[in-house]
Amino acid sequence: MQLECKHLNFTYPGSDVAVINNLSFSMKNPGFNALFGPSGVGKTSLAKLIARGNARYDGDIMWDDMETILYTYNLERLPGWSSTGGHLSKVTPPGKEGLKEHLVQVFELTDVLGSRFSQLSMGQQNRINLIRYLLQEFDLLILDESLANVDEKLRETIILAIKDLFADKMFLYISHNLMEVSKFCRQILVFGKPSENKGCFMISGQDYQNKYHLDKKKLDLTMLEIMNAF
Amino acid sequence: MLFRRIYQFLIVYIIGIGFLLAIKAVLSLSDYVIPGIPLVIETAGQVFTGYFFDVMNTLSVTVLGQGISIIMAFTVGIAGRKSSWIGSFIKVTAYNIQAYPIVALAPIIFILLGDGFIPRLMIASMICYFPLLLSVLGIMATPVTDIEHFYIVTGRMRWQLEVKIRAFENLSKLTTVIAGSATLAMAGTIVAEFIAANAGIGYSIRIALYQSDLAKILIALFMIGIIISIYQGILETLGEVIKVKWSISKKGEVL
Amino acid sequence: MRKRTVISLIFLLVLMSATSLQAKDVQLNYRLKWLFNSSVAGDIYADVNGYFKAAGLSVTVKEGSPEKNAINELELRHADFGVASADQVIRALDKGAKIVVLAQLFQVNPMQWIYRADQPEIKTLQDLKGRNIGITFGGNDETVMNTILAKAGISKKEVTITGVRFDFTPFFMRKVDVWPVYRNSQGVILKDKLAKEGEAVYFFNPADFGVNFVANSVITSEVMLKNKPAVVETFLGALLKGWEAAMDPANEADVLNAVKRLDTSTHDAIMQQQLAATRDLIKPSPSIPIGTIDMAAWQQTEQIMLKEKQIKKPVHIETRLSRLVQK
Repeated sequence: MQLECKHLNFTYPGSDVAVINNLSFSMKNPGFNALFGPSGVGKTSLAKLIARGNARYDGDIMWDDMETILYTYNLERLPGWSSTGGHLSKVTPPGKEGLKEHLVQVFELTDVLGSRFSQLSMGQQNRINLIRYLLQEFDLLILDESLANVDEKLRETIILAIKDLFADKMFLYISHNLMEVSKFCRQILVFGKPSENKGCFMISGQDYQNKYHLDKKKLDLTMLEIMNAF
Repeated sequence: MLFRRIYQFLIVYIIGIGFLLAIKAVLSLSDYVIPGIPLVIETAGQVFTGYFFDVMNTLSVTVLGQGISIIMAFTVGIAGRKSSWIGSFIKVTAYNIQAYPIVALAPIIFILLGDGFIPRLMIASMICYFPLLLSVLGIMATPVTDIEHFYIVTGRMRWQLEVKIRAFENLSKLTTVIAGSATLAMAGTIVAEFIAANAGIGYSIRIALYQSDLAKILIALFMIGIIISIYQGILETLGEVIKVKWSISKKGEVL
Repeated sequence: MRKRTVISLIFLLVLMSATSLQAKDVQLNYRLKWLFNSSVAGDIYADVNGYFKAAGLSVTVKEGSPEKNAINELELRHADFGVASADQVIRALDKGAKIVVLAQLFQVNPMQWIYRADQPEIKTLQDLKGRNIGITFGGNDETVMNTILAKAGISKKEVTITGVRFDFTPFFMRKVDVWPVYRNSQGVILKDKLAKEGEAVYFFNPADFGVNFVANSVITSEVMLKNKPAVVETFLGALLKGWEAAMDPANEADVLNAVKRLDTSTHDAIMQQQLAATRDLIKPSPSIPIGTIDMAAWQQTEQIMLKEKQIKKPVHIETRLSRLVQK
């Protein structure tokens, strides 16, 4: 399983400014990886290109051993005509009911399954949305700020559960949380500020798994490395 | 909602009558040109029952005509929502048909179909269909990306689901347009009856016009106004019920 | 230089005198009942051939239509004179309108019924029995037909009454046998169309059976007659002179030219026939001056309307008919 970009360039139609400029990187094997950087550097644009959006770009994106790539973002909504539980059941593929129940429990959503999507808090809305994607068949799932508005403790629980339950899948996690990315991600593609013309760097994260032991020194080093990169 | 509609109409009607009476008083006009209150009341006593049934007759055609136009607008709107060749063909055809003033087409309809129930129904539907179509096309052609994205990327999207999502997300707009189109359907039916029919309040207005009887026309307008207000009020209330039942709200805002 | 000044002064004087002459013309508005066509030939002719101008009047002849009502315009002071049907006049009087009838244009009501000649001719009113008769509900023809049927003692069960509109298809398809028409306009067109199909027609004229329902007349307001009797007399004189000239067969070509300028949609041959038909209705006999008010017919019209409950109380129409032109 490998995701590789070579000399990737992308400019939105009608614009003169390139959003992605000569980007090359490679991510190998399953794992929880991240795209990190300030707003507006092209993380979402890259995510959409990887998810086989129709936009035209220069350079190469190579997906090796990846059939299904899904992209989810934090503004997504579920239809409002029935309960979130009802919708979740409808989109759960046969045989995955147990996984659904487990995820609902881990994501702490058991009590809100009877509610309409609009009645949930923003954090709950993002969690229920993420569950329905995790229940689908995929090889690579891109999570674009999918855990925004979720408290830190629960976010950690969720990320660790995802790593545990989907160890054979690749994830690309877009987040602005430096600590979170440093702790849980294996490979972190850091986007430098375009104004400083720094380019992108691949940095290794701590990739903590369930019941991890925090090595503060190593974590600080990773965080420092990321900070220096952008 | 219902009562608000009725008293709003009554205010408008009373202002209108007041305006006419003021003109009558200032220019010292006879009852032939603008009837006085006693004549209007006397005429109401004579024609009220008859006009009530006439308006109900018109309303029955209106309701049916509106129903047909809603079905037509949704069919064309759904078929024409895609930016494909067939979609644009349907849209252009629908627009072109509407470009002909219905009053010009009406005589052809009456010559072909006579002056019975069907032509009234057709004209009512045709008059109220186009504004509905524009709204439906606008709604159906605009993706609700935040909801549709999941279904598209997971290969679950079907046209029925797409229509359901877009209709649901624009339910307020749709119910307002449908309630508003009731007036157009009523106007359409009355125009049809006025041009050629042997029943309905439009037909009675035409007879009153033959006789230059403005008092009768004022009673007819009153009846039309009241009945259409009630009908619109019912439609709006129904719209509210549907919205509450479907629990329409957006982005965390609970109704 | 001096020559130039003299010329300029003369020109100025001529211009001033012309303007002052123009200023002497009395400005009047005259609202017709119907569109410009042969049925209003006299009104057009009086205007175009300078009859009004010669009388010192500057008259704007305004076309009528189903939506326009001369009585309303008189009351609203948008018109000084107008043409209205007798039923309009009587209804308006019933509702307190202050109007007077100056002249009766149609001596014979053009509102008649057409039927095919392959059907038995209607020689007596009893011949109406069993026929499918078209009437315009709410129109004059309904009132007249009700009177005819009542006069003949024919119940509504003995005939079939069909409501009709502008579309003649039911008559062409023989769904309706006897169809209401204006004799001098639609009557001419229908007769012509059927003639082309090899079919002859008859006209059923209620007046032939003693039902005289008056048609269009010239009206003005009581105020106008009271305050400006000379203007009223001058206008009426000029108008009727125009009508007399227009109905003179010797002037036919001239009249048709005048009408043609305003009615561009009617074919020449049809227009000529319409003018001839109008002549028979306006001036059925050389001895009857145009505009003659048929008092008996007016009284019968009022009686019919009273009986048909078109008016609530007698309006004493005889008191509202000008004595300027009376039988």
